[in-house]
Amino acid sequence: MDRVTRRQFIGRAAAGTAGLAGILATGTPPARGQQREISYLCWNNFAPAMDKKQNEIAQRFTKDTGIKMRIDYVSHMGPQQAKLAAEVQTQAGHDLVELRMHFPWLYEPQLVEVGDVVAELEKAHGKALSSGYEAAHIKGVWRAVPMYHGLFVPTYREDLFKKAGLKIPDTWEDLYTAGKELKKMGNPVGIPIAQNYDSISTAGPVLWSFGGMEVDKDGQTVRINSPATEQMIEWYKKMFRDCMEPEVLSWTDASNNESMQQGKAGWIHNPVSTYIVAKQRKLPTADLINHHRSLGGAHGRHETDVPRAMGIWKFSKNVEPAKEWIRYLLGKPEVYNEWIMSADAFNLPSYEKLQDHPVLRTDPKYAALSAPGVQYHLYGWPAPGTDKVQRITNEFILPNMIAKAVTGTPTKEAIAWAEKEMKRIVSG
Amino acid sequence: MAVGSVRVGATPSRAGLRVRELLDRERFLGPAFVTPALLLLLVLVAYPFVMALYFAMSNAFIGRPSHFIGTRNFVALWDSDSFRQTFQNAFVFTGSAVGSKLVLGITLALLLNEQLWFKRLIRGAVLLPWVIPTALSTLGWWWMFNSLYSVVNWSGIALGLMDPPGPNWLGQKYYAMTAVIAVNVWRGLPFFAICILAGLVSIPKELYEAAEADGASASARFWNVTLPLLKPVLAIVVLFSTIFTFSDFNIVYVLTNGGPINSTHLFATLTRQVGLESGQIGQGAAISLYLFPVLAIVVWIQLRFVRRQVY
Repeated sequence: MDRVTRRQFIGRAAAGTAGLAGILATGTPPARGQQREISYLCWNNFAPAMDKKQNEIAQRFTKDTGIKMRIDYVSHMGPQQAKLAAEVQTQAGHDLVELRMHFPWLYEPQLVEVGDVVAELEKAHGKALSSGYEAAHIKGVWRAVPMYHGLFVPTYREDLFKKAGLKIPDTWEDLYTAGKELKKMGNPVGIPIAQNYDSISTAGPVLWSFGGMEVDKDGQTVRINSPATEQMIEWYKKMFRDCMEPEVLSWTDASNNESMQQGKAGWIHNPVSTYIVAKQRKLPTADLINHHRSLGGAHGRHETDVPRAMGIWKFSKNVEPAKEWIRYLLGKPEVYNEWIMSADAFNLPSYEKLQDHPVLRTDPKYAALSAPGVQYHLYGWPAPGTDKVQRITNEFILPNMIAKAVTGTPTKEAIAWAEKEMKRIVSG
Repeated sequence: MAVGSVRVGATPSRAGLRVRELLDRERFLGPAFVTPALLLLLVLVAYPFVMALYFAMSNAFIGRPSHFIGTRNFVALWDSDSFRQTFQNAFVFTGSAVGSKLVLGITLALLLNEQLWFKRLIRGAVLLPWVIPTALSTLGWWWMFNSLYSVVNWSGIALGLMDPPGPNWLGQKYYAMTAVIAVNVWRGLPFFAICILAGLVSIPKELYEAAEADGASASARFWNVTLPLLKPVLAIVVLFSTIFTFSDFNIVYVLTNGGPINSTHLFATLTRQVGLESGQIGQGAAISLYLFPVLAIVVWIQLRFVRRQVY
């Protein structure tokens, strides 16, 4: 081994110290040591196979691009929102974040503009679906990239309908006719009227199909006090009385699934997860469950769905690598398809040309999920997803108005209560 | 050992002497010991509290610039039906739960103080509800009150105490409030029972013997010996429990999410809904701090009472 003289040692140490000082001062590591790396915070998917597939794709992405990828999964309701809020407040955390529903509106000033990526995706896959647009296109700017959506679909007990000779409903009024018979058979309709989001996911479409709305397009004018809302409430009242059981007043988001899976409910309005889980767990009801086309009314056929998008924080130092990941996952048709297929129809692509997706042909019971003529919207449509409209949603004013009415409060009084609460929020 | 020998070493430097001199002074040593704890309190308690105060008096929204708006949040909250309902719920919930825990806690402590078989095992078992994570045990209660699988209703119907299908525990406001109070009592009872038991065992036996010799009945011994001597313990336990119960979150969040129609919302659950889910940190902080002045007065009164009892 060569001996290092004292002079050589001092020289090398000085060079090393100067180099380190340079790195610390500029905050930039030398090119040879630079490793591009992005971190992604996303939810624990209700379809776990999709997370597994995403990890596989991320490994391939790293191999193909040299960009390292770290994906952190977090429970979607409370913890995810707390984490997002903490990252925004501290201006530190992940580069990329998964955003559900109107989260892009909530964090709009903190999100990088991603119109360039969306334009590429729309060129390849067609326009983004209406709900994806409503969720991520804010004040003329794309703040997140639509990724996929989980949609609500009427789920019914095919055997019971056949046994009683019931017609598959096409409108919400038709459902009342079928629901009366179902309840007599001991298999009531299961629509939650409680402080949960599934309640709003049904109440919204019913209200819209009667021609009503909570707040107008301007996001300021409260329109809940209308004849359409009265019609909607009267519909709920007769459904509650003749087709359902009081248990729906205490239901959580999972209760309608459970009621159908355990063989009680004859009809529910829910994502396709009810059937998927029954199938996976080999429940006896799996063979008896089927889906039909979304219900409509005089003012169209609407659904609330759960659009999910990917956003990039403005404080991220890896905006371009993050965009590369989005292009890799969503822009390459073979990768996007592979990922969607892994979810077994629970999450479907957010772009128009991909609506007749091969995943819908993997099971004949998924046919109703390809629902032409159905409009998908965010909660609170046609109002934009502003923080005020979100607060109306989060305070569960719509389901609470219905709950008041079905438990004895006069219809007009329940509507007046909702109007007052909505006006308070909008004017606040 | 060299008796009387003197170890001659280096003479302490002037600075060393000065430090030693300072350490000998109580005026310096006291603050030196207290400073680390004080710093921790400042960073972990005072700073978040001051931040919460600032948020409550601002229009803070997640990730957006905020401005000071004085007490506007506190005033505006009164316009909200859900807040007024929450305010009422908080007092009903805390009053009923703390009252029930107090009565049941004294009863349980008196029982545990008796000569029982498997006394240690029973005392350990009583603590179980307090040891299990609240969110987990509340999930168990949620199943028991669940409209589809309620074991409470199933048992009640089987015993002929209820007409089928039984109460809709989490879907009707009075039942729902009863349910959340019941779970809070179940969860908090061990804290009361064990603290009161500690107070009971410290009461000298001679007092009971003297009272018995004077012909005092069991109830007279309870009212005139046990209860007066338990007062300091009860005051502290009630104080802590009042604070914990007012700020309860898990039970309501898991069991009812504040429903039906906001009839079980508490300050903590409403704070989460407004501050976190809707991004309005300012109003959320105002909700959580609304009761601070009331609780501060309660604490002050109870601590004064405890001091009087002790000194």
